[in-house]
Amino acid sequence: MSETLYHLEKVTQVYGHRTVLDVESLHIEARSITGVIGPNGSGKSTLMRILAFLEKPASGRVSFQDQPFTKVTLEQRRQVTMLNQEPYLLKRSVKGNISYGLKIRGISDTSRPVDRALSKVGLAPDKFLQRSWRELSGGEAQRVALAARLVLKPKVLLLDEPTASVDRESSELILRAALDARDQWGTTLIIISHQLTWLRQIADRILSMDYGRLSPVH
Amino acid sequence: MDYLLSGLIQAFELLFKGDPETYSAVKTTVLASSLSVAASMVIGSPLGFCLGYARFPGRRSVRVVVDTLLSLPTVVIGLLCYAFMSHRGPLGHLGLLFTIPGMAVGQTILGLPIVVAMTATAVENLDDRLKQTILTLGADPRQLLLTSLWEARFALALAGAAAYGRIVSEVGISMMVGGNIKWHTRTITTAIALETGKGQFAMGIALGLILLALALMVNVAMSGLKRLSE
Ligand SMILES: Nc1ncnc2c1ncn2[C@@H]1O[C@H](COP(=O)(O)OP(=O)(O)OP(=O)(O)O)[C@@H](O)[C@H]1O
Ligand SMILES: [Mg+2]
Repeated sequence: MSETLYHLEKVTQVYGHRTVLDVESLHIEARSITGVIGPNGSGKSTLMRILAFLEKPASGRVSFQDQPFTKVTLEQRRQVTMLNQEPYLLKRSVKGNISYGLKIRGISDTSRPVDRALSKVGLAPDKFLQRSWRELSGGEAQRVALAARLVLKPKVLLLDEPTASVDRESSELILRAALDARDQWGTTLIIISHQLTWLRQIADRILSMDYGRLSPVH
Repeated sequence: MDYLLSGLIQAFELLFKGDPETYSAVKTTVLASSLSVAASMVIGSPLGFCLGYARFPGRRSVRVVVDTLLSLPTVVIGLLCYAFMSHRGPLGHLGLLFTIPGMAVGQTILGLPIVVAMTATAVENLDDRLKQTILTLGADPRQLLLTSLWEARFALALAGAAAYGRIVSEVGISMMVGGNIKWHTRTITTAIALETGKGQFAMGIALGLILLALALMVNVAMSGLKRLSE
């Protein structure tokens, strides 16, 4: 039996006077992997921010687990996490970054999960745990940011161009980690990428965004 | 000019022999200013966070008011505090007038706009991605506030140092609210004013040197913090 996590109907987002998002209808099934492609500025990240509850749509209906957007609780919001397009780390160590989400959930015993999450993104814990946020390359920072999401075992993982600044090997790792998340924790994934071939290996369906509108890609 | 030179020599004698009257003024200054900087930070940084973070109507006007308060003259603060704290005033029963806590209240009013304005600017300059990151990792509103402030910690410390620099060197509030009572509320600046008036340059110079040293320390700290906060 499949459960629909997100329902979106006639959702728009407006910045200033410009409508940048205009989604007729979108349903996301639990445990599915949805790929999104589309040109720069077409509204992909905007859609992600709405799905992550980081911004309110200008109009339309969004519901998550049958709860309307404005009624979504902190507990529900905590099941959803997004990896930003330009990853951002807190001004603390790698360890501090990855354990942050656990700590604010009141989990104090973080060292094992943090180690595991770091290994998952292909960074050796003994080399990276104590490094400060300034001592990482762009690709390493992106993988640490991903580990900070994976450690939460999220129900929904939104990835905004996760492979944009990493090498081939790392994009394989990220693919593996995403699939593992689905298989182990039943994570639902929505992934934006410009690499269609990469996306085809992982996604159940691919949507294309153009001028804020979604259409299926076959 | 002889009296200046001999004043300087005597000043060093006072400093190195640990003259109790001199150090009593130093102690009072450090105590009052530490109290007031701490209070300014505790009250001012959340206010500054809200001002820099929240978008509400009238926010720009509040910013203008805060910026105006930055140039509030110390004698005006002294006057206000005196009026409120004197025994006919509404706060008279607290017995704050001519005490160190009383001075600290006045100096907190002096430091508060500095902390609020600098925190607001620091928070405005925080990366938009920071907020998104904190929220998407699951923070509630209180955790968002605390983590954002922590991320801006170097900028906050800078605000504290700036407030300290202003507070430690003020005369008006210490004089009017503290009353320049020897061994009690006499601070470095009020002692200098008094001693100079009496023609006693040695202690004035000695205290002036300490004040300069404090200012130097504040500036060194600030330049280090500026580098870290970028
Ligand atoms: N905060 C904002 N304020 C105003 N306009 C914005 C804002 N964020 C995005 N936009 C505009 O909204 C449109 C959609 O942006 P969005 O970031 O969603 O595109 P995207 O599909 O993710 O593009 P890219 O592939 O470059 O990441 C763009 O035209 C952009 O200029
Ligand atoms: Mg984008």
